[in-house]
Amino acid sequence: MLDDDREQFRGDARRRLLLVGGGLGAAFMILGGRLFFLQVMRGGEYRMLAEDNRISLKPISAPRGRIFDRDKRILVENNPDFEVVVIPELAGTLRHLLKRLGRFIEFSDEEVKHLIQQARRQRSFLPLRVKSHLSWDEVSSIEVRIHEFPGVDLQSQSVRYYPLNELACHIMGYLGEPSDLDRKRFKRIQFRSGDLVGKSGVEQRFEEVLRGREGMVEMEVNAVGRHVRELHRTPPQTGSDLYLSLDADLQQEAQLALGNEVGSVVAMDPNTGEILAMVSNPTYDPNQFIRGFSHAQWQAMNLDPDRPLINKAIQGQYPPGSTFKIVVALAGLIHGKIDPKETFFCGGSLVKEEQRFYCWRRHGHGSMGLLQAMTQSCDVYFYKLSERLGVDAIERQARRMGLGSVTGVDLEGEKAGLIPSRSWKRKMFKTSWYPGETYITGIGQGYVLTTPLQLANMIATVANGGTVYRPSLLRMQSDRKPEIVYKNTISSYHLDLLREGLEAVVHDPTGTAAKARPEGGIRAAGKTGTSQVVRHKRDKSGQLIKSTNENLQDHALFVCYAPVEKPRIALSVIVEHGGHGGAAAAPVAKRVLDKFFAKYGAEA
Amino acid sequence: MNYSSSGNHILNYGESTSLNWAERFRRFPWSLLFLLLMTVFVGFGILFSAVGGSNNIWIFLRQVIQFCFGVVIMCSVAVMVGEKIYRRFAYLFYSFSFVLLGATMAVGSVGMGARRWLEFGFFRLQTSELMKVALILALARYFHDRGGANGMKLRELVVPFLMILLPMAMIVKQPDLGTAVLLGGVGMVMMVVAGLSWKVLLTLVIVFGASLPVIWNGMHTYQKQRIITLFSPERDPLGSGYHIIQSKIAVGSGGVIGKGFMAGSQSQLDFLPERHTDFIFSVLAEEWGFLGGVTVLVLYGLIIIRSLMITEMANDRFGLLTVVGATMLFAIQVMVNIGMVLGLLPVVGVPLPLISYGGSSMVTIMIAMGLLIHVSIYSKQHGRSV
Repeated sequence: MLDDDREQFRGDARRRLLLVGGGLGAAFMILGGRLFFLQVMRGGEYRMLAEDNRISLKPISAPRGRIFDRDKRILVENNPDFEVVVIPELAGTLRHLLKRLGRFIEFSDEEVKHLIQQARRQRSFLPLRVKSHLSWDEVSSIEVRIHEFPGVDLQSQSVRYYPLNELACHIMGYLGEPSDLDRKRFKRIQFRSGDLVGKSGVEQRFEEVLRGREGMVEMEVNAVGRHVRELHRTPPQTGSDLYLSLDADLQQEAQLALGNEVGSVVAMDPNTGEILAMVSNPTYDPNQFIRGFSHAQWQAMNLDPDRPLINKAIQGQYPPGSTFKIVVALAGLIHGKIDPKETFFCGGSLVKEEQRFYCWRRHGHGSMGLLQAMTQSCDVYFYKLSERLGVDAIERQARRMGLGSVTGVDLEGEKAGLIPSRSWKRKMFKTSWYPGETYITGIGQGYVLTTPLQLANMIATVANGGTVYRPSLLRMQSDRKPEIVYKNTISSYHLDLLREGLEAVVHDPTGTAAKARPEGGIRAAGKTGTSQVVRHKRDKSGQLIKSTNENLQDHALFVCYAPVEKPRIALSVIVEHGGHGGAAAAPVAKRVLDKFFAKYGAEA
Repeated sequence: MNYSSSGNHILNYGESTSLNWAERFRRFPWSLLFLLLMTVFVGFGILFSAVGGSNNIWIFLRQVIQFCFGVVIMCSVAVMVGEKIYRRFAYLFYSFSFVLLGATMAVGSVGMGARRWLEFGFFRLQTSELMKVALILALARYFHDRGGANGMKLRELVVPFLMILLPMAMIVKQPDLGTAVLLGGVGMVMMVVAGLSWKVLLTLVIVFGASLPVIWNGMHTYQKQRIITLFSPERDPLGSGYHIIQSKIAVGSGGVIGKGFMAGSQSQLDFLPERHTDFIFSVLAEEWGFLGGVTVLVLYGLIIIRSLMITEMANDRFGLLTVVGATMLFAIQVMVNIGMVLGLLPVVGVPLPLISYGGSSMVTIMIAMGLLIHVSIYSKQHGRSV
């Protein structure tokens, strides 16, 4: 090899190496620049991503607030629900372990198979729930031997418990998995899977009060999710307790008094609007919603024609029947359309526009003043009074007593009922009002619909002298004043007349509600009602054809308050298809009144 | 000949093939060794953290032992044999490696979805590592014998091209795209330095560009996936994009000064995959930040510069091209690995020289370093300057 050849080659190689070196330099600059971009310019962003990776937030569920009645007796509480959890990597052979655990807890072959499959699917350091809803015996037998089972742990979570079972179930409501609607409704609540939410009753209405604030554990986790250590813990905040106006004793008595009858009882304090009892029959067990239904149970409940999930006290709409006469009588007095001493003759029926309108008493009441008409619930008297008033005056008075619109009670799904008027009919049917319809309206039939709660509120208004309160399920405390919806001005003269009539209904020998008369000389005032389910068939002589089909029987109604001098309780009772109000509904009211005065005494 | 007692021979151009031990020691490029050791020790620190400290200390200790073994090999390669030995046996070595590579294709053992190893009873040989060194020597010999590539026609370049492309093809088949690209890169640069005409180079670039679609279609699904993933790792954050995403998070979250030794959450909590091998640079960048990353980049840059300086001392084309090849083997691995870790290049599984855990890549790098030290030691310029 010649020197000059080498030197020439060297020079050429040097130039080319310079190029290579430049390329390498550029590449290193790019790497350095990229490092600068990622670490210096975007460092904060990536640091956050790294933290997200590192920290796993595990929510700790907060127990819901408890619910008490007015005597601070527990209506709803939380019970621990125990489950056995196994961490497979600490527990050895799962099949063997389950066999050993099987001495204390029962596992079906299928469960064992399922668990072993599940264990294979998940990482071995993650807990595997092997059995939920343990009995106390199971819990204690495992607890004392827990050291014999490494990797086995007993965990508890709080579940809702309704110690009174069916009692007041419609007021308590029940819990269920949140629906899209619930999520929309409670925007501020972040639902997690497995969370339950109030689906009806006060559980639903006071969801945001009862629901606590969930706690949070910040855990450092590695890439596969294994917990490395706890970084921070925010303890959960238990939800607020709720004190209801309900009286569990009264509720129970009302429930017993109604027995197996389908219907509703509402008891209120007429001076505050506090609801003391609210029964709707049939009932359900809210605990069942926590335990879960079988398909058949759920099907049966939904297909039950008596609709146990419906709270009939606020969702059942019934024609008020003769209890509506209270409204009509008061309207008549206030408008001066009747003189209390003026009498009408009841011959058992009345003809208007070629249509015959019957009194419930086929052979007539004879000559009737307001007092007698109230006491004996004479239909003919009220036909005539309605005619004088006109439907619109009746409608106005009904609305002033809380009928025809929702009462605003602390429950969801309340129905408004219906109080007809001329304009309503024009709007609904595009026809004018027939005078005969005024008759029917005057005795609380036809289009008129009310809920049991509205009726209780109506009679409470009479009891307290004209004030319509918003019915409340919460106990009145110093900071909570009763809410007034409307205040009627009724002269004491008119009021006394009306009350005298209502008292006679219960206490006069001719009264329709003698069966409601309370024990111990306490005087009550009330009004029976019988609301027609279907138009009664009558034979040629006009005699009623008694139906043997129970579902065609009339609904029995009764509203009352007591004591008459200083009312402390107002009641409405509806027994579906119970027949006459005095026969079927009044005795229910009597039992509730007796219980009330036995507990609280005759004097306030 | 024996020059053990005299220094006269140094002035005798072109004849010296052997030096006495003291002379070899004196001529040893200590500054390069120092840079290498610096980098390796930095690497030990990162590896210690990456394997989780004392819990997996045996991995760390194995790497230390492997490194010691590597240093012995490097020095042996550098000083044990005379000047012309490597040139003389270059083709033979290449043929040997080529046969082994072929044997690997036929009877090699499979690991992680690739057929890369030959079993020799007590140890397994990654034959593509052997080929890296063999290719450098064979190409250097070829252009040395032909007096450079100047004015070479495309026809005359068939042999070196085949020398590069045949092993590349076999390695791609394994499949090991990273090593194949590395061989191609090293070969290319050596040819360019050997004097490949710019016209030929341009032709090559055009041919390569035109054949890209063919290459794309010939690639394995996982290789395509990696390239797609590079440009949009978010498409499959838990699958093929996971490496890139977690690596970028680790690097980025390190910030300017890093999270501190053994305090990188991405590294210590297993979010970072392959963190003691291919992704070890992410651990460095997370725990030591921009400062640490740049320090290591500078160390690598200094090693490369110091290595390229040896080209000036090479006695002949063979020596010069060997140095270029060895340096490029080192430099390309550094760039591809860091580019991959920083999300600039697809995940191709190239280890970071001197720092990544792993015996075979360490040994290969040390052999390459030994070769260029060898060239440096046997340079005749020592005589002139001394």
